[in-house]
Amino acid sequence: MVFSSIPFLFFFLPLCLLFYYAVSCLPCILHGKHSYVMGQSKDFPGRSGYRIPLQNGILLVFSLIFYAWGEPVYILLMLFASAVDFGNGLLMERFGSSRGKRRIFLMSSVIINLSVLAFFKYADFVLGTINGIFHTEIPLLNIGLPIGISFFTFQTMSYIIDLYRGQVPVEKNYLTYLTYVSMFPQLVAGPIVRFSTVNEELHERQISMEGFQRGLFRFMQGLFKKVLIANQVGALWEEIRILETGQSSVAVCWLGAVAFTLQLYFDFSAYSDMAIGMGWLLGFHFPENFNYPLWSVSVTDFWRRWHISLSTWFKDYVYIPLGGNRRGVKRHLINMMVVWFLTGLWHGAAWNFVLWGLYYGILLILEKYVWGKKLEQLPSFFRHLYTIVIVVTGFVLFVFDDMKLLQDYLLSMVGCRGNALWGTECIWYLKNYGAVLLAALMLAFPFYPWLCKKRDEGGDGRRMLISLAGMLGYLALFGLTTAYLVNDTYNPFLYFRF
Amino acid sequence: MIRENTIRALASVLLTASVLILSITFLLLKKQEFSENENRYLEPLPALTWESVKSGQYMENINSYLCDHFPFRDFFIGLKTRTEITLGRREINQVFIGRDGYLIEKYQKPVNTEQISRTLKTFGEKEELTGKELHLMLVPTAIYTYKNKLPEFAPAADQMETAEKIYQDSGLLSIDCSQDLLAHQQDGQLYYRTDHHWTTYGAYVGYLAFCREKGLVPVSLDELEAETAAEDFCGTIYSKVNDYSQKGDKITIYRNPSDKLTVYYEDTKETTDSLYNLKYARKKDKYSLFLDNLHPLIEITNENAESERELVLIKDSYANSITPFLAHHFKKIYVFDTRYYKWGPSSFIKGHEGITDVLILYNMNTVDTDLGIRGIY
Repeated sequence: MVFSSIPFLFFFLPLCLLFYYAVSCLPCILHGKHSYVMGQSKDFPGRSGYRIPLQNGILLVFSLIFYAWGEPVYILLMLFASAVDFGNGLLMERFGSSRGKRRIFLMSSVIINLSVLAFFKYADFVLGTINGIFHTEIPLLNIGLPIGISFFTFQTMSYIIDLYRGQVPVEKNYLTYLTYVSMFPQLVAGPIVRFSTVNEELHERQISMEGFQRGLFRFMQGLFKKVLIANQVGALWEEIRILETGQSSVAVCWLGAVAFTLQLYFDFSAYSDMAIGMGWLLGFHFPENFNYPLWSVSVTDFWRRWHISLSTWFKDYVYIPLGGNRRGVKRHLINMMVVWFLTGLWHGAAWNFVLWGLYYGILLILEKYVWGKKLEQLPSFFRHLYTIVIVVTGFVLFVFDDMKLLQDYLLSMVGCRGNALWGTECIWYLKNYGAVLLAALMLAFPFYPWLCKKRDEGGDGRRMLISLAGMLGYLALFGLTTAYLVNDTYNPFLYFRF
Repeated sequence: MIRENTIRALASVLLTASVLILSITFLLLKKQEFSENENRYLEPLPALTWESVKSGQYMENINSYLCDHFPFRDFFIGLKTRTEITLGRREINQVFIGRDGYLIEKYQKPVNTEQISRTLKTFGEKEELTGKELHLMLVPTAIYTYKNKLPEFAPAADQMETAEKIYQDSGLLSIDCSQDLLAHQQDGQLYYRTDHHWTTYGAYVGYLAFCREKGLVPVSLDELEAETAAEDFCGTIYSKVNDYSQKGDKITIYRNPSDKLTVYYEDTKETTDSLYNLKYARKKDKYSLFLDNLHPLIEITNENAESERELVLIKDSYANSITPFLAHHFKKIYVFDTRYYKWGPSSFIKGHEGITDVLILYNMNTVDTDLGIRGIY
C-alpha cells in the first residue's frame, strides 16, 4: 500500500488511528477519569502497564496488514529477518560473556541479513554481470524485490550492532521488536530509524493534541509534495525522456534532468515527511531525513542534507569501523571509495548506481583534498550553482540503467549529439509545467522557513493573516490532492472511438 | 497567540473531518455500476479469495473499486482538470486545449505506416478489383485542419506527410480532401469541439472532394433538409479531458428529400428507411446516431439514385457521417467495418458482379491504430 492512495488515506490510516486512540483512552475510561488528554499516563502512574502493549499490538497488526497488502508472501521474509536479529540479540545477552563470544552472534546476524539482502536484491545483478563478462548464459532467477527490504535490513542490523557495542539494552519481547521493524510509517521508504532512536518510545510514549496537530500537518505536507509535485514533475520528465536523442535541444535535456532531480527529491522527502508526521500521530519521534539538500553549498554539504539517515548509517556502521580518516591518507581514500561504492549499490542493483556512488566518492575526495578550501572563498551564488550542476548531473547517472541511453543523454546535455541549444518546445513544457516547477523550486529552497520567520517577526495582524491563509491552503490542497488520487483510475474507455 | 492556536486546531479538525466524512459517505453511498461519462463499467467489489490475495490482484482491485466509487468522483476529476488549465496546462490526457473551446486530439507518431501501405497495395492488386474504380481517402483530423486553433508552441506532427507516403506506397488512387478542408475553414464548423469526429459540414466538404475526383456533380447543401439532431453533444475528447465548463456541440443532420432509402443491417437483419438512429441523440455517445453505431455490414439501397453504380465502402467511423451524402449517387452502398466483418470485403466483391466502385475511407488517426484495416482482404 502506498501512503498517497485512496485506500490508505481514507480507510487504512483513519481506522488504524481510531483503534490506536481508543486503546490509548482505555485506561482513562476504565479508571474513571474523564478529564484525560488522550492516554496521558502521567495522570495514572503505574497504570500505563497495559496501554503501551495494547498500542503496540494495534500498531503491529496494522503494520503487518500494511506490508502484506503489498507483499502477501514476502511478509514471511520480514518476520524471519526480524526473528534472526531478535534471537541473536537474546543469545548474545545470555551467552555473550566475552567480546569474542558476542562477536559470534553479531556475525551470525550480520551474515544472515546481508545474505538475504544479497540474494533477493543482487542475485540477478551478479548473474547478469557474470553473463556479460564471460558470455555465459546462466539463467536469471527473476525474484521480485521484496518491498522495503533495503530499509528494514538496515534497521534490524542497527539493533544487533548497537547491542554488540553495548549502546542499547537487549529487547526481550519479540512482539515489541517486531513492532519496531515492521512499523508501517517508515517500513517501505525510510527514514532508516535505528532501534536506539525509538527504543524508549517503544516502551513508553505520550500522545497529545499538540502532537496530533503537528503530525497531521506534517503528514499533509508530505502528501501534497508527493501527489501535487513529485508526480507532476515526474510526468514532465517522462515526456522528455522519451524524446528521440538528437531531437531534443540542450535546454530541454537540462529541463528534463532538473525535473527528474525534483521528482526524486520530492518523492523521497515526501515519504519521509509522511513517515515523520505519522510518527507524531502515534507518539513517536523519527529523525529528520532531508534538510533542503538542493540548497547546499558543496557536495560535502549536500550529503549532510540528503537522505541523512542513510549517510549517517554508513558513516557509523561502515566508515568509522573501517578507520575513517584516522589511518592515513591512503587508507582514508580506500575507505571513502568503499563506502561510496556500497552507498551506490544500496540504491539499486545495477552498475549505474555504482557509478553514481563512485562519482560522489571521487567528488567528496576532491573537495576534501583539492578544491574544498578554494570553494569556500567563492561567492555563495557560485557555490550553490556548482553543487546544483553536480547533483543534477549525478541524477542523470541515477536514472538510466541502460549505459547506451545514459551516454546519449549526457552527450545531448552538452550538445554533442548534433542537437540545437534551444527550441520552442522548451516554452511549451515551461508553459504546461511552469506552475508546478515554480512551486517545486520554492519548496526545494528554504522559502517556507523564510515565510514562517516573516510571520513570526510581523505584528499580530500579519501573523494571523498568514496563519489563516496557510490553514485555508491546507484545506484547498487537500481537496486538490484527493482529486488527483481519485483521478488515478480515471480511464475513459473509448471503445466507440475507432 | 491563542487565536493562532485556535486556527491551527480548527484546521486540523476540518482536515480530519473531511477525511472521515468522505470515507463514511463512501460506505453509505449506493454504488454505480456504469459510468456514462467514461463509457465503461466501474470496478465491482472484488471477491476475497486466497488466490487473489496471494497474487496481489485483490489489493489492486480494491484500490480501483475505492477510486471508481469515491464520493463526488466526477466533481473531483473536473476539479483537477480545471486547476491544471487555470495554471497554464494546455495538454491533458493526450488532448490539446485549443482556442475557441476546441479540444484537439494529439496525433501520435504513426508506427504502422509501412505495414498499412503494403496491405492496401496487396488489396489493390487483387484480381476481383480489376475494372473497378478504387479510391483511398485519408482524412486529416482536427490537429491538421485546425492547426491555427492549437495552443501556442504545441508540438504537432504533419499528418498529411504520412498520408502522402501511404498514397505513394500503396499505389491507390487518392482522394485528398485536406486542402478542401483548409479552404472551407471560415465557412462552417468542420470538427466537433468535444469529439474526435468531423461534423456533418466537414463530411460535406470531404464529399465535395470525393465528387471532384470521381467526376460527379455534388448536391448543393441548399437542396438538403437540415435538422438539428442534438444540441449538447459532449463527445469522446470531452470525456478524456473532463472540463465541465466546456459547452457541448450541436449535431446537424442532412436528408436528401429526393432519395428513397432502404437500410439493411446484415448482423441484426433489421431494415429501416433512415441513415440515422435518433435514439442515440438522447444518449452519451451521440455520434452513434449516424448509421446506428457499429455494424459489420450495412446495405444501403437508394431507389432514386442518380446512377446504377454500386459502391463498396471500407471505412472507420468518419465515413458514418459522409455516407448520407454519397447515397444519392449510388444505387447500392455496401458499408464494411473490417474490424467486425470476418470474411474480408474482397471475397464479397467477388460474389457481387454489380459492384463498380470501392472507397476506402479512414481518418489519419485510425488508419494507424485500427487493426481492422489489416483484415481488408
